[in-house]
Amino acid sequence: MKRFIVFLFVVSALTFFTSSAMAQQYITLGVPTSLKLIEGYEGHKAAQLAVEEINAKGGVKVGTEKRLLKIEALDIRDGEPGVPVSEALLGIEKLILDKKIYAAVVGNFRSEALLAAMDIYSKYKVINIGTIAMTPKFQEKVLSDKEKYKYSFRNCLDSKYLAGYIQSMMRFINKEFGYNKVYIATQDVLWATATGSLMEKWFKENGWQVAGFDKYPVGATDFSAGLLKAKSAGVQVIMPVFDMPTSGILVKQWKSMKIPAFMAGFISPLMGSKAWKTFGKDIDGLMNVVFEIGYFPIKAHPPSVKFSEAYVKRWKEDIQSGHGAAPAYDTVYVLANAIEKAGTLDPDKVVKAIQETDMMGVVGRIKFDNGHQLIFGDNPKNAAVGAVMQWQNGKMAVVWPPSIASDKIVKPEWMK
Amino acid sequence: MLIYGLINSTVLALMALGFNLTFGISGVANFAYGAIYVIAGFLTWTLINHLHLPYFLSAFSTIILIGIFGALIYRYIITRIRGLIISEVIATFGISIVILEFLRYVGFIGFKYSLPPFIEGSVELMGAYVDIQRLIIIGFVIFLIIALYLFTHYTRIGRAFRGIAQEEHTSLSLGINPEWIASLSMGLGSSLGALAAIVILPLGTITVDGGYDVLINALSVCIVGGLGSTFGVIIASFIIGYAQTITATYLAAHWTMIVSLAAILLILVIKPSGLLGHQKELEERV
Repeated sequence: MKRFIVFLFVVSALTFFTSSAMAQQYITLGVPTSLKLIEGYEGHKAAQLAVEEINAKGGVKVGTEKRLLKIEALDIRDGEPGVPVSEALLGIEKLILDKKIYAAVVGNFRSEALLAAMDIYSKYKVINIGTIAMTPKFQEKVLSDKEKYKYSFRNCLDSKYLAGYIQSMMRFINKEFGYNKVYIATQDVLWATATGSLMEKWFKENGWQVAGFDKYPVGATDFSAGLLKAKSAGVQVIMPVFDMPTSGILVKQWKSMKIPAFMAGFISPLMGSKAWKTFGKDIDGLMNVVFEIGYFPIKAHPPSVKFSEAYVKRWKEDIQSGHGAAPAYDTVYVLANAIEKAGTLDPDKVVKAIQETDMMGVVGRIKFDNGHQLIFGDNPKNAAVGAVMQWQNGKMAVVWPPSIASDKIVKPEWMK
Repeated sequence: MLIYGLINSTVLALMALGFNLTFGISGVANFAYGAIYVIAGFLTWTLINHLHLPYFLSAFSTIILIGIFGALIYRYIITRIRGLIISEVIATFGISIVILEFLRYVGFIGFKYSLPPFIEGSVELMGAYVDIQRLIIIGFVIFLIIALYLFTHYTRIGRAFRGIAQEEHTSLSLGINPEWIASLSMGLGSSLGALAAIVILPLGTITVDGGYDVLINALSVCIVGGLGSTFGVIIASFIIGYAQTITATYLAAHWTMIVSLAAILLILVIKPSGLLGHQKELEERV
């Protein structure tokens, strides 16, 4: 009996210490985001892919030992209508306290949730690298108290860079075709109308004529009145800014009504290959601003080809969103590299290493500015890059910037 | 503007006919109507894309299945609370939320859900290009109005429908079972909602949130036209449809969402029974 008790004790002790050791060897990354929305869904999968790749090579070197990575995802639903910010914050705190995450990646959808979450991350000294929410107030908040908010980084486009890319696209159209008359159509939500207003100002300051600026309520399914207005005003470019699912109808009507103008702006649902399956030739000719390159293969930037192929191989589907997935993948590598460089998991030392990041990623060269915002440009060798792609017969043709462009802009058949 | 105003009006009429039919006969304001419209869209999409059924077989099956679903809702839920108006509204609205949020929960999120148009392409009418699917909607509305008229005037069940709508107790004395007819009216109303979905949704995408918009549109048209009056629904559709198009053309697109709500408010102040509604008209006069 005594022997049996001793045996039981030894087995229990061994089990306890082994499991503790197993638990210790993982570095847990939290993915608190809206997992049912496309950017969150794909961002999670992209981060998981990076984790699996790193683990397959033995993990992350922390000082002298190698540690494996692990993802703990939680659907905080902050991108869904009607979900209060407080619920998203509770989710983040739950991940920090219950799952003991070392860092958070992907992160919030809504800017107000991101700004509020920065205080929580700061309180628990949890490094967070977001890849979805886009408010420029993020950098302002980091710069307002650099010591307090040093744990927060953003590895994706922000709305200032987005406006910059749309401006570049318009300059390019003006240069190539001499067009300078535009009609702006946006979704009636803050970020879209703000982008529209910014662009309206820019157009006026740069010699363009703005023939109209309409804001469509969320869920709008008929854009004919605005399109007829644009046609009768003789506009040459229609600039849409939408992310609602029904916005594809705008492009369908543009085609069926044969409006003789380029459709060039940002319509989020028409970014990926499934858009062509859903809408087919109705979206042929649409020009869309890609927030971050890498979600589909671009020959001029080989890391994007490698990532796209790896994603399809692992998840048996390709990426549909032009925002979030490629940066989420890069983010895990940024973090892993920083941990290795710091040689420790001490968040303050790892933060310093992230600040000094200079590496080639799927989105281009990754470097952060003083406000911890990823720096964007027009050449992936120098900076992260957004792009303009045009649907050309089912192909996502990159038409800008010249450093990665594969095709020239093609006019829709009814404009020729 | 004339053409697109006409199309917009017929879309509204098509959305409202099913809601109006159910209310006109059974007296039940079916607040699950928008959800039924959306579930019909997703069901058709599923039958086409997962069971690989031909489009028209999928559409036909959906109309039948949704009709049965509507009748079952009446038979097993509404019957127990019939006549208690507030309870009916709460129950149907509750069903609506359950259906829509369930669809969201199981993953019907995103833009990939779309039905194919009956005929691709567009034609030029009075200097404006119009896609053929929109013209088909106009044809469908005309067909439905005629079919509903013939059904309610020249078929046994149709006459029973009218009998219940006019005087339920007298109809009972003539051997018409009001519960059975009300069930049928809910089923037929739901089928009309499914038909509307199948004809209208090829213009865009199927979204869960679309259910709430359809309910608001159907309600506004029925309230303005007069609950239960088919002719009132047609007139109200034209008033609201053209008002929306004129607003989008001469004011701004984002004001169009207010048109329906303003119309409801206005009619409730001026004539609460609606343009051609007979219910409560006597009370109004008193």
